[in-house]
Amino acid sequence: MSPPRLTGALRSFSNVSKKEDPVEQLYDLKTKRLKRQELFAREGLTWQKIVHFCSEHQDKAASQELKSLLQAAKQIVGADHGQEAIECAAVFLFETFHNKDHVGTEETRAIKQMFGPFPSSAAEASCACVARLVAPLGDSRVEDFIQTQSSRHSAQRGSSFGRNIAFSYDFYSLDPLEDLQESERVEQHF
Amino acid sequence: MACARVPLDEQQVTEPGPIGKERTLPALHPDRKEERYFVPYRPPPENGSPAEVEEFLEHAKFIAEDMEWLLALPHDKFWCQVVFDESLQKCLDSYLHQAPRGLDLATLPLSPAVADVQRAVHKAIFLTFLRMATHKESKDHFFTPAVFGEIIYDNFLFDIPKILDLCVLFGKGNSQLLHKMIENIFTQQPAYYNDLDETLPTVLQVFDTILDKCGLRCEGATAMEPMKLNAQKQPTAMSMNLEELGDIILYLCDSTTTIHAFLDIFPAACSSFHSHGFLSRLPPFYEAAVPDLEKAIKKRNFDDKSLQEDLWKRLSHSCRKIVETSHLLLHHTCLQPILEGQENMQTFAEELLQYFTSFLPEKRFLVDYDELFPIADDVSLLQQALPVIDETRTSYLLQGVESAWDSMGRQRPLGHIQSEGVS
Repeated sequence: MSPPRLTGALRSFSNVSKKEDPVEQLYDLKTKRLKRQELFAREGLTWQKIVHFCSEHQDKAASQELKSLLQAAKQIVGADHGQEAIECAAVFLFETFHNKDHVGTEETRAIKQMFGPFPSSAAEASCACVARLVAPLGDSRVEDFIQTQSSRHSAQRGSSFGRNIAFSYDFYSLDPLEDLQESERVEQHF
Repeated sequence: MACARVPLDEQQVTEPGPIGKERTLPALHPDRKEERYFVPYRPPPENGSPAEVEEFLEHAKFIAEDMEWLLALPHDKFWCQVVFDESLQKCLDSYLHQAPRGLDLATLPLSPAVADVQRAVHKAIFLTFLRMATHKESKDHFFTPAVFGEIIYDNFLFDIPKILDLCVLFGKGNSQLLHKMIENIFTQQPAYYNDLDETLPTVLQVFDTILDKCGLRCEGATAMEPMKLNAQKQPTAMSMNLEELGDIILYLCDSTTTIHAFLDIFPAACSSFHSHGFLSRLPPFYEAAVPDLEKAIKKRNFDDKSLQEDLWKRLSHSCRKIVETSHLLLHHTCLQPILEGQENMQTFAEELLQYFTSFLPEKRFLVDYDELFPIADDVSLLQQALPVIDETRTSYLLQGVESAWDSMGRQRPLGHIQSEGVS
């Protein structure tokens, strides 16, 4: 609980702030994750494009790996989701693991942020599948493919507001007039 | 993309509608905002379990990522989001409400991962408010100033509590930027001065509430009324429970720090505080509350000595802030106009001397004030600017200051005695 604050009193007792609706609906993490999945799906890279890219230069082995990747994605996203959500999750896993050889903390966090809690075996399986899929293709080709297909990698390259502003992380700190011990010494003296 | 060299509030854009057919609509239109679902901020957990820490990290990363996206939006899209996305407003609000202040951080151990993401969110929130306070971002991206004033005011993008929160959260190292932001907000929308006026009685009420809670308020109607025989005795700082004493001191510490930060960053507000009589209210409050609270912290039995130490530091810090705030108010409303040679210098000088004289009975406040801002120095400045100042009056004042030091049993710092001797 935050400590009592002046601005809290001003919000409660003066008429200069927006009065919040008590029955307001705040977005929880589940809603946020669904929204992120929806936004991710619109970023351009699709399952069909990955299938086409991986199958172009490979034999039947690719098809098997792609199936396994979809299977792992199904475990991560949950069985009650439709094919579209599963394919979208598989795209996310492909993008996450295309240049990784193991499931690290960052990857675990990224998957959890997108889909919530998930079985770690499914993440391990998808990482291994992606590694086998991209191995014959070459790192730079895979990288180029993702960069050109996904709008996320090209859209936000522009200048962001405040990029050149020198921001200070300094905080006000306690600046007492005197220490407790010092005050007690003065008291004893008199 | 909206067209250039026309204020955003007058621009029209043509873009595909929901069914794909092209349509023209104002550049600032609710249909142009993106559905993003900004999550509200939660503060880092205090000694939290790994699960709580993980939840904080997840929340904070969503916010950092969303703010990064927001700041990268073109001018028109940024403003559509800011004006029409309620979840964004709630997210920004929640940060101002809940983010730990610098004064809280000393007691909040943060792991490197938590500290990193907290810093990222902290900066992104500041930049978002900075962009929201900027009516002209570039020669192509700007608002009609009056319309900008209406937009920020009518949509509560800024209000007085938010401005105070911004000062206390970001003011320490970003005071120049904050000054520009707040100055621009008040210039483009003078109604904020009315809001400030409306808010100040509530700010003053904070000090009355603290006196009430400590059983120290006895002036006015309540003192005149006879007390019922069976009426419960008002608890004092010595008798109330320790948690309540802690809350009072935290409240005082936050209030004094916030008020001082705001006035320091935006001195133009001093005249509003002055006209609400802050200079007549702060010294008597100090005189009544400080010795009582100090005694309670010293004499009460604390099982946790670090809590006793912390409360003392917070009270002593509050004392400094009250004294510094009084000095800021005197400086900007009386002394500065004299030094600038404004008209009615005599009236300002009269007012300044009157305030100093009114401090004489408040001996504890007077001595603490004089220690930080020697009154003799200001009197000397006054005498240089206005040689006609009544010397009997200034001598009486300086003797009063000296006798306050004696009666408090405190020794004046050597420099003060010398500077008085020179004058």
